[in-house]
Amino acid sequence: MNWRRYADHPFWQAAALLVAAFVVIVYVVPLLPGSALVPKSVVLQYMATVLVGVLIYVSDNEERWSRFREPIHAALVEPRLRPVRAGLLVAVPALVGLVAYGQVRTTVAAPPNLRSIHPAPPSEITFRGKTITLTGLDNPLRQHAESLPAYTADGKRIYYQNCLPCHGDHLDGQGHYAPGFNPLPANFQDNGTIAQLTESFVFWRVAKGGPGLPREGTPWNSAMPRWEDFLTEREIWSVIVFLYDQTGWKPRTWEKTESGGAK
Amino acid sequence: MKADRTALLAAVLLSVYPAIRLSAQDTTAGKNVYVKWCAGCHGETGAGDGPAASTMLPRPRNFTGAVYKVRTTASGQLPTDADLMRAIDDGLPGSAMPAWKGRLSDGERRDVMAYLKTFSSFFADTSQHIAALTFSKEPGGGAGAAALKEGRLFYDSIGCRKCHGDQGHGDGPSAPTLKDDAGFPIYAADLHQSWRFRGGPTAADIYRRLRTGLDGTPMPSFSDLIDQKFLTDEQLWRLAQYVRSLSPAETPEVRDVIHAAQIAGALPAAPDDSAWARLDRYWFPLVGQVIRKPRWFAPAVSGVWVQAVHNGRELALRVSWDDRSQSPDTAWLAFERRVLETMASDDSSPPPSAAEPWPDQLAVQFPRHIPDGMERPYFLMGAATDPVYQWRWTSQPRRAVAGLARGIDQFDALPSAPAAQAVYDHGEWRVVFTRALATPDTANDVQLATGRAIPVAFFAWDGSDGEHGSRMAVSTWYFLALDRPTPASVVVSPLIAMVVTLGLGMLVIVRAQRRGGQGGQGGRGAGRRSGV
Repeated sequence: MNWRRYADHPFWQAAALLVAAFVVIVYVVPLLPGSALVPKSVVLQYMATVLVGVLIYVSDNEERWSRFREPIHAALVEPRLRPVRAGLLVAVPALVGLVAYGQVRTTVAAPPNLRSIHPAPPSEITFRGKTITLTGLDNPLRQHAESLPAYTADGKRIYYQNCLPCHGDHLDGQGHYAPGFNPLPANFQDNGTIAQLTESFVFWRVAKGGPGLPREGTPWNSAMPRWEDFLTEREIWSVIVFLYDQTGWKPRTWEKTESGGAK
Repeated sequence: MKADRTALLAAVLLSVYPAIRLSAQDTTAGKNVYVKWCAGCHGETGAGDGPAASTMLPRPRNFTGAVYKVRTTASGQLPTDADLMRAIDDGLPGSAMPAWKGRLSDGERRDVMAYLKTFSSFFADTSQHIAALTFSKEPGGGAGAAALKEGRLFYDSIGCRKCHGDQGHGDGPSAPTLKDDAGFPIYAADLHQSWRFRGGPTAADIYRRLRTGLDGTPMPSFSDLIDQKFLTDEQLWRLAQYVRSLSPAETPEVRDVIHAAQIAGALPAAPDDSAWARLDRYWFPLVGQVIRKPRWFAPAVSGVWVQAVHNGRELALRVSWDDRSQSPDTAWLAFERRVLETMASDDSSPPPSAAEPWPDQLAVQFPRHIPDGMERPYFLMGAATDPVYQWRWTSQPRRAVAGLARGIDQFDALPSAPAAQAVYDHGEWRVVFTRALATPDTANDVQLATGRAIPVAFFAWDGSDGEHGSRMAVSTWYFLALDRPTPASVVVSPLIAMVVTLGLGMLVIVRAQRRGGQGGQGGRGAGRRSGV
């Protein structure tokens, strides 16, 4: 069977592997929950890695290596493959030309937006004139276990009245205003946000908002309001209690880390 | 035989399935889901009055009345379970209702659907048979000129234009009077934004809305016109297809960079210059300003279309946006008052009753200097220490000024203003700004260089929606690029690369063939390691 001959052949196996890897990286990865389109430069890196892996595999044993080279050699010398040869001679330089043209043609692109998602927090902040030390700080409301349900309810009301348009009903950063902003609002369901932060870090981000970010956090783009203008200290702590309660995450604690939730 | 009986049994079970679910189901599971995920907007008692309700327009559904807009049932009828599931699964575009499919499990969504039916006694009455209308298949040829012309004929004759306006921008003469059954203000749908239609964007979706009406709103059902032989079912389809044709075929994709092509000669300075029709247009969504006090949760402008072109000396930038009113317009004062009364507000003064005839406004924002790195001024109108350069256009007085904004509250006009021409055309503003790329005031005016990514942002106010000051619709930073014509020299290096590649390829072939000739035909001999 023709098909089997190709399936067993190391050259066609290698080609199939490369195609499969490309399809997975470009088309399958973006479908996975929580992932995005893979940037072209990263695709190139992945493909280079796969290529190296494939080459190691085919050259690993002498027999396989020589079989792998057969079709390549044949394409270069066999008289009956003359059309293939000619085709390659046209196609490869054309491709190279096209890629080169794409590189030299000047199109203006948006500058890369390199942004630290969880920049290092300050050790203390001034909240409405009061100094709050963030280092080692836990959510003070958690000291009153009996009142926690009331704080959670408060936090829920505050969330729905203030945070919902951007962070959304499901707390996944996909509220009805989210498409208007860049960066997108934080996704609290994701394991990369509040799940790995201390509550004092979250307090800092809520209280000081986008304008309170350090330079590496691209404060000029963030639409996060400075909530100290809207909410009291207790209201912010309540909303934080709600965020963890609703998503089921546990805040990072100070016993485990000294670094204040900075990534 | 046995298989047939099973199939029959299954069919019977399926047909009475809704009734079984409703009577037999324990709604505790649904209640838990509802309290956790839905009550924040729809309220503990299902009355559509959760804490978030007053930050939304349209308001969250009040389940106690069992009146639903998007159904497949006749006007005045309860929705089917499938209708309710569709709203839960896919959400309601153009409103705050998200798609819950993928957020809640299949079981959770079914449970919560069953639970929200318990808010109204109407659903408990199982003697009432809830049946979807029979909808015909879409007739072909819907995109043809004849079909669209026929659709337009009925658009006029059955009164669509009264609310939706002559061109479908939701600016009809009755639009300022519209309220829903609960007394909340309601905007006549802008038929140019099908991606915001609650019931879906396709011609089939529109046809269904025409057949069923949107219960609880001023949008009636037109099924009776078919019964009365005023129009045929196919003609109603033509109307749906006409309405669909008003919107782009695809939901506009947001692209980061507006490319302004370079042309020779004069720029199109008039908003309706035919040159604009040939230029690419870019869509940018706007959302409510909810960052600084007083916030605004009912933005009337959902986005702007932007086009740009330059000639090496000047830039022309056309911004078009849908606006139901040419403000200030006193016909809209009562509507504005209702909006202000409906929406949550950070400040008690001025009271909502103080509705004023505000003008429409648009701002186009740039940094004062094109940044070299990624740093730029704060997107929301800069800051006291780092102002932004803006063009601000108002509908009355109809003019544009340039100035520096230092935050939302402070705007200081500069002596030089861009030229601006505007038209209001049946629910759409089209404004063209024209300015020299270089100006004398290099300290304050952005110098529009070619070949650079120039940050740009947009802000819009609909005066008749009560928008002024910080009550506005905002965008984030995007980019404007004044493209340079591609010089012929750029093909040189690709050509060199091609020639080199071709030469190398031929060299490899020639070498391989020489060796092949010596070493035999494709054997597995040694000495070929260097062959590739």
